[in-house]
Amino acid sequence: MTISDETLMAYADGELDAAARAAVESAMREDPQIEARVAAHRTLRRKVLEAYSAELSEDVPERLLAAARGVESTRSKVVNLEDARAAMERRASRGRPLRPQWRTAGTIAASLIAGVGLGFFMWGHTESPLMRNAGGALVARGQLAQALSNQLAAEQSRDSAVQIGVSFRAKSGDYCRTFALSGAVSPSGLACRQGGEWQVQALTQEPGAAGDSGYRTAGSALSGTILKSVEGQIAGEPLDQAGERAARQRRWAAADR
Amino acid sequence: MNTSETSQSIHEQIVTLLPRLRRFARNLTRNPHDADDVVQIAVERALTRLDQWRSGARLDSWMFKIVRNAWIDELRSRGRRGKIFLAAEAGENIGTDSMARETELLSVQSAMARLPEDQREAVSLVLVEGLPYREAAEVLDVPIGTLTSRLARGREALQALLGTEGEAT
Repeated sequence: MTISDETLMAYADGELDAAARAAVESAMREDPQIEARVAAHRTLRRKVLEAYSAELSEDVPERLLAAARGVESTRSKVVNLEDARAAMERRASRGRPLRPQWRTAGTIAASLIAGVGLGFFMWGHTESPLMRNAGGALVARGQLAQALSNQLAAEQSRDSAVQIGVSFRAKSGDYCRTFALSGAVSPSGLACRQGGEWQVQALTQEPGAAGDSGYRTAGSALSGTILKSVEGQIAGEPLDQAGERAARQRRWAAADR
Repeated sequence: MNTSETSQSIHEQIVTLLPRLRRFARNLTRNPHDADDVVQIAVERALTRLDQWRSGARLDSWMFKIVRNAWIDELRSRGRRGKIFLAAEAGENIGTDSMARETELLSVQSAMARLPEDQREAVSLVLVEGLPYREAAEVLDVPIGTLTSRLARGREALQALLGTEGEAT
């Protein structure tokens, strides 16, 4: 009796029913070659499985965990980028020195429509979890506002959805902080504390802005756009750890100048 | 929403599956960055389509299928279909390539990377992810006979590349 290799393979994979299994087993007893072929299938199966088992214990990136846990409200919302752009234009025309770059707007929109991690923007939609549109200005809220108010760059967990970058005092006297959000597009931005709220002054999605290790120690990993924003506004040096803590202590109230 | 409790637990079930989804996606894409992107897209997609998941069905199979479809979509949108076919063709010849034979102990991963797409998918789902043939066939949208013949050819190629046959263990 000849047994096809596919049958032996199926036997080794535990895919045969009882009758077929019995037939293979009796053939194996009679023919050492058949037994060897089954053994080869089993060996390969084990080798392949072993070779890939280490991958299972790797850390899963935060953005995938966030996607799996999903922010329900961000799921299938359509983003209105026109509103966003208009809001930015209005702010720019009021004489703000900065304008975020929108050349990557398409990428942002694509990711958002897919419902990226935190669902970082729902421009013009009141249910945006991280920012709201206050008469054309963007004001941080939710997790972003909390991080801006409470998180110290030196003490933050790498797992936080919001990573704080550089904190500094602006020429206006306001305290400002850069931030990066987790997610496929890793947007980053600059927010300044004005009137008891965090006004988002600039926002970009350039590479290099993600919350990587070098980020918190210096401005080096900041995107060009945000870095320019910082340079345009900063008075003196960025806050060190103690400065950051002291500013948080006074709830980021503007310093007298 | 009365399904929120159920979908909450599905979120955590998907979290548990993430390492396997990444592993499968790496075998598909042969690129860890592409793999994570594809997993993210697939997870987001799955969450918008939870109603399509029959609760009796295996969540892992369902997710593998979404991962695979996300990768196919990605390739389509990149217009890289042609390149993939080329790579698959090159893979067919590897088994008879004397250079490859001389380089005896290829790692399992690099041997896998040389398999043609369809064989690599079959091997990955059955041998790595441990799916039964029927589940794997469903993920790949092929009859079970097609799955087993791809799997058999994939194994044969792997054995040739790894020199497993007759090897003492």
